[in-house]
Order: sequence, then structure tokens, then C-alpha cells
Amino acid sequence: MDKGGVPQIVYQIGMVTVVAIAVGAAASLAAIGFVDAVHYLNERLLISPYARIQADDRPGLVAAATLLVPTVGGLVVGLVVHFLVREKRGLAPPDAILAAQTSSPAPGLRSSLASTLAALVSLGSGASVGQYGPLVYLGAMFGNLAGRLRLNLRHQRSIAIACGVAAAISTAFNAPIAGLVFAHEVILRHYSLRAFAPVTVAAATGYVIANVIFDRPPLFLVNFGSVEHSYEFVFFALEGVLCAGLAWGFMLLLRFSDKAARYYIAPVWARPAAAGLIVGLVALWIPEVLGIGQETLRFATIEGAFGIGELALIIVAKLALTALCVGFGFVGGVFSPALLIGILFGAFYGLVLPYIAPVPHSGLVVYAICGMMALASSVIGAPLTTILIVFELTRSYDLTIAAMVAVVFANLISYRVIGRSLFDLQLRARGFDLSLGRDKAILETYRIRAYLSDNVTTADEGETIGDVRQRLIDDHRSEAMILNGGGKLLGVVRLQGIVNSQASIPVLEKAIPAYTTFNEDTSVWQSMEMLRGFLGEAVPLVDRNGRLMGVVPEEAVIRAYLEIVHDLREEENEAA
Amino acid sequence: MKRRSLMAWRLMVLSFLAVPTVLQAQSEEQDPAVLTVATWGGAYEDSQRRAYFEPFTEATGIEIETVHYDGGIEVLREQLESGDSEWDVIDMIQSDASAACMEGLLEPIDPDILTPAPDGTPAQEDFMEGAIHRCFITQIVFSTVIAFDDRAFPGVKPDSVEDFFNLEAFPGKRALRKSPVGLLEWALLSLSVPREQLYDLLSTRRGLDLASQRLDDIRDAIIWWTSGDEPVELLTSGEAAMATGYNGRFFHARAMEGAPISVIWDGQLIGFNSWSILRGTDQADLSEDFIAFATRAENMAAQANLISYGPARKSAQRRVGLHTDAGVPMRPYMPTAPSHMGTAVVRDHHWYSQTVDLREQWFREWLDR
Repeated sequence: MDKGGVPQIVYQIGMVTVVAIAVGAAASLAAIGFVDAVHYLNERLLISPYARIQADDRPGLVAAATLLVPTVGGLVVGLVVHFLVREKRGLAPPDAILAAQTSSPAPGLRSSLASTLAALVSLGSGASVGQYGPLVYLGAMFGNLAGRLRLNLRHQRSIAIACGVAAAISTAFNAPIAGLVFAHEVILRHYSLRAFAPVTVAAATGYVIANVIFDRPPLFLVNFGSVEHSYEFVFFALEGVLCAGLAWGFMLLLRFSDKAARYYIAPVWARPAAAGLIVGLVALWIPEVLGIGQETLRFATIEGAFGIGELALIIVAKLALTALCVGFGFVGGVFSPALLIGILFGAFYGLVLPYIAPVPHSGLVVYAICGMMALASSVIGAPLTTILIVFELTRSYDLTIAAMVAVVFANLISYRVIGRSLFDLQLRARGFDLSLGRDKAILETYRIRAYLSDNVTTADEGETIGDVRQRLIDDHRSEAMILNGGGKLLGVVRLQGIVNSQASIPVLEKAIPAYTTFNEDTSVWQSMEMLRGFLGEAVPLVDRNGRLMGVVPEEAVIRAYLEIVHDLREEENEAA
Repeated sequence: MKRRSLMAWRLMVLSFLAVPTVLQAQSEEQDPAVLTVATWGGAYEDSQRRAYFEPFTEATGIEIETVHYDGGIEVLREQLESGDSEWDVIDMIQSDASAACMEGLLEPIDPDILTPAPDGTPAQEDFMEGAIHRCFITQIVFSTVIAFDDRAFPGVKPDSVEDFFNLEAFPGKRALRKSPVGLLEWALLSLSVPREQLYDLLSTRRGLDLASQRLDDIRDAIIWWTSGDEPVELLTSGEAAMATGYNGRFFHARAMEGAPISVIWDGQLIGFNSWSILRGTDQADLSEDFIAFATRAENMAAQANLISYGPARKSAQRRVGLHTDAGVPMRPYMPTAPSHMGTAVVRDHHWYSQTVDLREQWFREWLDR
């Protein structure tokens, strides 16, 4: 497939490796810097428990920080997003997916950096949002930069973006295999060796930087023996189903919060501050809702740390506040809140279970982990990634298999009820629908206008059948487009319909009443759909004012479809 | 070469300067000068006497008197309030020294008094990170460990923090220091909280409550101790089956006195002891001279060859060998021996110094419950 023989192949492999390492290293270092910066802000701003307890003798100060920090943080986020991000919203994994899938222009560097800053302030000031979304976008930003270099590599941008994302996840979770799979499962949506090899290199680079150079501590350490009773797998499956329900509730809350923000607060930049104030007020009562909640995550795996009622309260509060923060415009992801809510729900399930099914079971930890992963995978639509995260974080085969069962049942249900993921829902709202696979979504991004032809026979509305019939015979065509004086399309006339008509009749009388037209925005996918049952030879394409711009022959639609799908298949089946 | 000769020259100057100050100090006061050092008694103090106090008196003619000190900063406040404190130098736990420094209870120490390593490495590089502070000089690494009376468990021996809390499998009294130090960490460690997250979790009300609950499990089996030599006595007399205590004391009892004591290194709590000077002492210069003397590499190594506490400077660590009297190799007994570090918890002295009142309050509430 590569033209130019051995030197070209060597160049391709060498250059792809260099790009993978460079993007992977940049994304990994940026991820470490980002996480440390959030940590630093949390300490300084009295968000983390470690900092709050040291000001324990000044309860007034702690209360003031609890109220003011998220509020002022929200104001800063609102202003940064409003004035510095061109898209006027936080950039997130859906933007990375879009940039990797299509050739449409990605958000600019200024917007990307401003969005990252807004995410940093959001997380630093204790908003209930996650850090992995911004990290994934940060990785994608480096990939996009590398994608712009003139290196003459095929599918350079999408592969470079996948590299950045894989390295960011690999670093953040200390889980290189999960990073690799996430980039394929969520960003690329296909597995080709050409992408697989560099993405693996990038994920490994992230791992090396996180572990060997910086010696980052593992994210999550639990001790777990084994699943003691085989019937517990039924409980795991049931837990997965319940988590899918919880994910559905979360999506509804998100949508509701989005609407509420528009309804109640007109200035967009003021919305995060309002959400911040509410977070602060709730945190005075339930401090667990502040920030990422690393401590709460750990407590959920310890028997005796929470009562059942307490757990239910924190789950509801965290769910509502995360929806509030995301809906009102704090910049951040939903993955870490989903992990936290999931693990709390899992602990809740583990505590309630003995009352419902009074049989022995293997303790709280496994149910907590199952809940965590089932909810998170429903939200981000990445079952394989979440299963691998469990494996890489806990190194426990038993836990992984238990979590696997919960995850697939959760995904089975949530796929039907919600769709593949929150990302896909957000993309669909923006007109990029991946629910039927990437063929449709990508065919939707190409305009059929690109295949326009001006080989067309036109007729003036005042002409007669005789004039038009003769012109069609001369042009060797069977269709004529009837236009008025301004070039507007009034109808189509077919040779078959006028063969035996009297020559003196005005042509407009014999025009077909129903005919297919494309417009400037018709996508290749839509044009395929519209051609069902079409019998003519070409479809007229009109501009916004109804003026004829040209025609698209049936052959051109099929050609467009074949070319685009061929490109996709080639991308998916390429070797390195 | 250049750097080394410069260092040698500096050393010479230093020694010339040091001698007259010491002589001056002696000649000004008519009575032979006496320096009062507050320290921890027992085998630990004996090792200090042999490694530091006696050689110092020999070199300068200045007598060293010791007073007993069991940690904390309350006693420093009392000393200062009494107005006629005799204390000059105090051997403090680093977190206490840090808290005392913030309260202004300590004199500043000039870091230039510290001698370079014998090979010329400047003190700043030779000491452990964070050892040289405005108010204190960290000198040893010690460890608070769990030990047990071997006779109490003829069958399976306990080997983890969890076993300390397991009265069913390992019955018997538990001796614990009557102070909110270490209890919190061990309580959570026994619930498999990873050591990296201990202090984050203990920073929450939930973490403290969880520790209380865990300690409730052994409440009736606890014997409290206050002075560092008590745990050894409690174990050897058979009063307690398991006890927490300082690793050096347990080493001394086992290696020197043949007591039937075994140490569980799991969850050892590593801490640091530092030399500091009580504020307002009229012998501040002399105190600094003593600290400079006691932190010389060869003197620190001499102490480490008497008791199993690790010196806080690298050049001294390299000089640790066999026990001076018993000939036992000392390195395996050091808290910092690689085989003991796998599950060691390094005490977060910053957290400790910031949570003095909170921990005290928690402890009182738990005792009263």
C-alpha cells in the first residue's frame, strides 16, 4: 500500500513512533502537572480535608472558604469561558472524538488552553466535576497540534489525537492498557494496526513517565481475597442493572440542570458561580460533596465507615450537585464523579443486600468496586476500558471478573435506555450521531454539494414542450430543469412524460409534481436516504433561495458513498 | 580539589574559632559550666551518654546534666512560664519541635555550626532532606513498632498490625502509649487503608470516628504507658502480650538483656528526633556547640552502634557496623533497613504539628466514651 518502497516504509514507521512518543510525553507531563496543580489549589483553598483539618481551630475561616471558594471559582470559570473560549463552553472528550473522526477544524489552541484553565479552576475550587474529561481533552490538544505538522503520514491527526488521549489516561490512572483501549473504544472507534501501534507506544510512554520518572503512587489500592460464593455473580449482574438505572437518572438530572440554568439565570457567565454557591451551602452540611472526593472513595471500601442512611444521603447529594455543576457550566468531566457515586452506591448495595437476600457474601469491597465500574462505564460508554481499569488498579483477577459481569449488564441496559454514552448524546445534540456506528456519522459530515455537476439541461418557464423536447434530444438527456427568470427551480420535466405531448403546450403543465431536490447542506448520508425509490438520472441541488446550482447524478451519490466508506475501511484495516 | 582544600581550610578556621568560645564560656563563669539536656531516659539516654555527653565533657570540660522528657510541647510551655527553667537543649520529636517553633518556644539555630562530613561534603547535602531547620536539627530516625512477648504466643506468632487488633486469634493485654500518637495510624492500617492515604483519611471526621470504632475493639485489653522504658517492662513481666514502643528499646532488651521480645515491623511508624534549644536559655551558644558536637558523623555513628536508631546524615549511616559491646551487626535492626521499609509509615510531621489540639481532644473524648 505504501508507495515509494522501503525508504518510505522506514520513514513512516520511524516518524509515527516519534510522533507517538512526543505526543505521549507531552500529554503525560501535562496530565501530571494538571493533577498536581489541582492538588495544590485544593490545599491552598481549604478544599481538601488535609488542609481543612489544619484550620480546625478556625471554624469561621473553614466555613467562609467552603462558601466563597466554589462561588468565586465559579465566577472565574464563567468569565474565562465566556471571554477566552471561542466555543463558549468547556471543551471535553466529545470535541476530541469529533476531531479524530472528522476533518472539520478542531478548537483552536487559545480556546483549548483557556478551557483547560477553566477546568483547573473548577476542580481547584471544589466544584463537583471530574478531572479525566479535561485530561482527555488536554491529550487530544497535543495530538491535534501534532496532527497539523506536515509529516505526510496517513490519518495523522486522528492517530495523534488517540496517542495524546491514551497517554493522558495511562498517566492519570496509572493504567497503560486501559489508556490504550480507551483511545480505541471511545475516540477512534475502530482497531487498526496502524493506529494500534503508535497508540500503544504513547500509552507506554505515559506509563513510563508516571511510574519510572515521577514514581506516582497507585491511584487505588484495595485488598480483596476472592469471590466466595458462585451465586454472588447474580448479585453483581443485578447491581449492574441498578447502576444503569442510576446512570439514566443522572442523565435526566443533567438535562434538567441544563434547562434550569437557561431558565433561571440569563447571563451565561454567572451560572457557574450560582452552582458554586449551592455546592458551598451543601458542603457546610455534607463536606463529602466538595471536589473529587478521594477520601470518600476510599471510605466506601471500608466496612463500618458509613451507615446506610448516610450513604443514601451522600449519593443523592453528589448526584444532584454533579448534575448542577456540569449543567451550570463548570468545566470538568463526569467520569470521576461517576466513579465516586458508583462506589458509594456499590457500598450501599453491599450493605442493603444482607437484608434482602440473607445469604453469606464476600464483603463490601467487591460490591463497591462493581458499582463504581458499572456506573462509570454506563456514563462514558466504555465497558472494556473500565474492566481493564479495575484489573490494572487492583491487580485482582477475582475483582475484575466480578466487575466485568456488573459492567456488561449495566451497559446492556444503558445502551438501550440512554444510548452508548454521555459523549455520544452530546455529539448527537451537535448533529454528529454515532448511534448507528461511525459510517453514518461520518457520511453525515460530508456534503453532497462537493459532487455537483453543471451538465444539466434547463428550460425557461415560458417555453413549450416542443422546444424542450428538441433540446433534450440534442443534449442526449432525459430530464430538464424548469427555471424562472431568476434561476429559481420550478419543476422537473422528463422525456418519457412528453414524448407524445403536443408541441405547443407550455412545458410547466407537464412538470412532475413530486421530485427530489438536494440543498447546500444535504449530507452524503441524507442524499443516499433520499435516493430511495428515485427513478431519474440526476437530482437538482438548490441554494437557500431555491435557485438551481447544478445537479448531482445518481452515479455521483454512489461514488461519494463508495469513496468515503472505502477510506474508512482502509483506515480500519491498515497495517502499520 | 579546589573545593576540598577550601573545605579543609574552613574546618581549620572553625576549630580555631570554636576553642576560644568554649574557653571563654568557661572563664567567664566561675563554676564549671553545666549544660542541661532534656531527653528520654533508659537505654536511649545511656547510648547518648556514651556517644555524646561523656565525649563532650572530655573535650570541653563542660558537665552535662539530663532531665527526663516524655515528648509533647505542653511541658515546654510550663518550663517557660515557671520563669527559672534550667533546660538548655531538648531532644524532641520533629513534629513537636516544628509545632514548638511555630509557637516561638525555641531558639533559632545557626545552620553554619554543623560540621561537614569527613569527606568534605557540606552538611546541607549530607543530612536527610528537611533535617536542617530554623529551630531544630534532626539527628535520628526512630521507629515506633509493635512488639510481642514470644512466650504469650507459643503457636502462631502475630505478624501484622491487624493481628494487634485481633483479640480472638491473639488474646492478651495490649500496651499502648497514652497519647494520640500512632493509635490513629494503626487503627486505620488494620482496616487495610494504604499508608499513602492514612493522613488524608485521618483528616476527616469520618476517619477519626473509624479509628475510634476500631480502638473500641481492644478497649478493655489496653494497658497505657507513658515513659519509653515501660513497654519492655510490661512485656518481660508478662503483664502485656503485645506492646507498642520504640524500636531501639526493644532491640536493647532483646540483644543486650535477652528478653523474649519479637518485633513486628509491619506498619512501623517512622519518626525523627531533633535537637532543639529552649527559648531564653542563657547558654544558647554553648547549646549550639553541643549540637554541633553531637551531630558530627563519627559521634552519630557511635550512638547508632549502641542502639538501633538510624543517624540522620549519610556519612554517619555509612559508619554503622557492629554493636560496640555485643558485636551484633546493627544495620538489620535499623528502622530504615530495606526489609522493614515495605510497609513502613513515615509520620507526617507537618500534619502532626498542625493537629496537636485536635488529636488531644479526640483522645480525651475517646477515653471518656
